[in-house]
Amino acid sequence: MKQLLDSDLELVVESNFIYLPLLFDPEIENEIQTVFRSKKQIENSVKPDLKTIIKVKDKYFVKALNLPSLLENYEVINAYDYKRLRNDCLLKYQLTDEVDGIFLDETLKIILFQIMPHFIKKNSGLTRKKFNDKEILDLINRKINIPARYYKNAETFKNLAPLKNIIENLEIQTPVFKPPGNGILTGRKLRDWFHNAVQAKILKSERHRIAKSLKVREQFNQTKPEHIAILLYISDMGALEIDGFGFTRHNSYKGEYFVYKRTKEFVLTDYYARSYLFPECSVAVSTYLPFRPFVMEKYKHPFLLGHKSGQEICLKESVPSSELSAKNVIRTLEEGITALRYGYDCRRRNGYHSLDRTWVYIPTIDFEDYRI
Amino acid sequence: MSDIELKKELQMDEAEKLLPLVLEILPGHAAEGLIDIYEPGSYTAKSLRKLCDKTLNKKNLSIEEQLIVEDIKRQLDGGKLLSRGQEIEGTALEYAVAEQTEAGEKYLYVPIRAIKPQEGGAGSIIVD
Repeated sequence: MKQLLDSDLELVVESNFIYLPLLFDPEIENEIQTVFRSKKQIENSVKPDLKTIIKVKDKYFVKALNLPSLLENYEVINAYDYKRLRNDCLLKYQLTDEVDGIFLDETLKIILFQIMPHFIKKNSGLTRKKFNDKEILDLINRKINIPARYYKNAETFKNLAPLKNIIENLEIQTPVFKPPGNGILTGRKLRDWFHNAVQAKILKSERHRIAKSLKVREQFNQTKPEHIAILLYISDMGALEIDGFGFTRHNSYKGEYFVYKRTKEFVLTDYYARSYLFPECSVAVSTYLPFRPFVMEKYKHPFLLGHKSGQEICLKESVPSSELSAKNVIRTLEEGITALRYGYDCRRRNGYHSLDRTWVYIPTIDFEDYRI
Repeated sequence: MSDIELKKELQMDEAEKLLPLVLEILPGHAAEGLIDIYEPGSYTAKSLRKLCDKTLNKKNLSIEEQLIVEDIKRQLDGGKLLSRGQEIEGTALEYAVAEQTEAGEKYLYVPIRAIKPQEGGAGSIIVD
């Protein structure tokens, strides 16, 4: 069917049925003549006015597919294409779950407006002033190169008219799509009509989502388009990083994030005052329990058990917080960074591993490659 | 070091002493802290620690500055003042770098972090 709709083949639409052209073949020609002479086609039809074979502009067409039935069952007939059309349709009106969710995401608000300002440089020169939420978004807009398409999407988001129109049409029960009309159509034209009809049907089924989305948009209608573009960008990318501070959406837990701060390179010294240069790493904390700092990358350090990614930093006398708040996340990140950078005591060799190879050296994790 | 290089360095040293000093004390790993500006000549005879104490005891702070001072004091409860990765000692000039404002005015800048120690590792390996 896809090949049929992607072709330039001439088709006929008659009383909601697609008629396909018959081949020019002597045997078929004979059969057609027989059918027409015996008027069997009328008897074979479900309805007397629906002929099995019709003649349009000296060409014969045979009844093939019922359009309403095709439309009704398209989700099952071609699940992949239906899903693609659905995604396109929802994106066209910025109706995805993520888009609506991002505007009501309280965790994201804490990260953006309370945690991030602590770790990024906001003021230029020697002034030090507190930034409000709008100023934070302005700052992000200056620091992050948001692709133009998100500004375009923001305009779509702010335009309430199309969604209001859909809701109004659904309320007064206007048919969601017009039939294609009888007559000859090319496969491609019929495909365009069919896609529009499928999308109109999808919008009808998404009525509740549209109504909910409309409410969100009315609430944020006064927001600057560039601020909406930032949120749409975050919704799409699931991550943002400024001045070594960033966050990334958790793949498995919806609405949860990893918040991180990069450490920059740092030097630790061993028992014999030899220096070791540790590469940059990202100390992170999740927005769900347990709130303990860990290193995102594959990393090794006296306070990390192995040499792999996602290892929790071993902290002495640290009580992890039990609730998500900006203050707790900042404290946890700072404890993690401070421990890595300043927490190793070369005289006591605290931690899982010693920087220097001691005389009872147990080859677990080696730091010789960091020696400078 | 050649005589010419030495002379140049001395000239630079003298020029630096004529610049104002901008001290910024940052609580923990924050990106911004409490700023204080010292006029040329007002800081050379004092140790950096004394300058920090003076800055932290400043009166007439804005609400934002008061919050930063609170945060710094919380970090300093058992914590240290670090600059360039080391505990501060000596004069501000030893830690200063020359910077300039957007208008092109030069100044010396010393960033200092108030860090509350966080020891890592549950145990320790003691081998001597």
